[in-house]
Amino acid sequence: MASANSADPVAGPPAAPQYLPPSVQGAVKILVTGPFGVGKTTLVGSLSEISPLRTEETMTAASSGVDDLTGRGGKTTTTVALDFGRITLNPRLALYLFGTPGQQRFWPLWDDLSRGALGAIAMVDLRRPDESFDVLGRLEEQQIPFAVAVNTFPDTPSYPEEELRSALDLLPGAPILYCDARDRRAAYDLLIDFVDHLYRTSVLEPQR
Amino acid sequence: MSGGGPVRPYVITGGRSRPTRTELAFESLVVALADRPELPEHALLNREHRRILDLCHSLLSIAEVAAHLGLPLGVVKVLVGDLWDLGAVQVLPPVPQAERLPTTLLEEVLVGLRQLR
Repeated sequence: MASANSADPVAGPPAAPQYLPPSVQGAVKILVTGPFGVGKTTLVGSLSEISPLRTEETMTAASSGVDDLTGRGGKTTTTVALDFGRITLNPRLALYLFGTPGQQRFWPLWDDLSRGALGAIAMVDLRRPDESFDVLGRLEEQQIPFAVAVNTFPDTPSYPEEELRSALDLLPGAPILYCDARDRRAAYDLLIDFVDHLYRTSVLEPQR
Repeated sequence: MSGGGPVRPYVITGGRSRPTRTELAFESLVVALADRPELPEHALLNREHRRILDLCHSLLSIAEVAAHLGLPLGVVKVLVGDLWDLGAVQVLPPVPQAERLPTTLLEEVLVGLRQLR
């Protein structure tokens, strides 16, 4: 069974379900995306109140090319693993964080995943930034509000922000944030900075 | 679906890949109704439908149901859609997102995160 992110720490077998309080009335979601092995599941795990869960979605795609899902011939079915976590924000509202593979071949999943999302955190490993080009382009194309989150591995090189912005070919609206995804506090600061960015943008541009 | 016509038998999803209710999302919340209507004799719930009803005695998202039952997300969306049509579960759709991102919703998320930090 093909698994999209088996190099990330494995989300364990589901323990007993941890139910939401009965007062909860709805949920919102944020995507955590980026290339294979960038630390998506680690970040989700640092933020989540439950052990990250793994679920699978089958994806039917044309075996050559990516866009022709309606073509008659040459379809293949792949199973994609999605890891996700949850934060109960207050007695009424829950937030789900979906680790979303960012490579082009997983784009057939993106319509379902991104519909209704508040935004996306696009994780980047500066030791191999080119692997993030696909997903950054996709986010801009789909006009999903996002921030770049540089996962600071011990040997992550540092660049001046302008240089990095130009290397990643980022539009001015997307902030660049830094975070050690393993650290709960740092992960929370990252998520708070991101939502604060969404909030400010939404206040400034209510027509978005 | 309404009208109370015969409910067709299922295999698992009866070959359907789309839920009957398009508004179901991975983060939609599901709970089995304690006082659900008596299901008609011909409402042939399969084993997976019953597992969902058993699991969802309290509130969980579609994604959590899929993870705990080891079923693909797309299958769970279809099955929960069936149960919803039968009035056996309550579904809390994700907070509606219009073209405009509601500023008050983002503020609520922000306040919640700051308190948990």
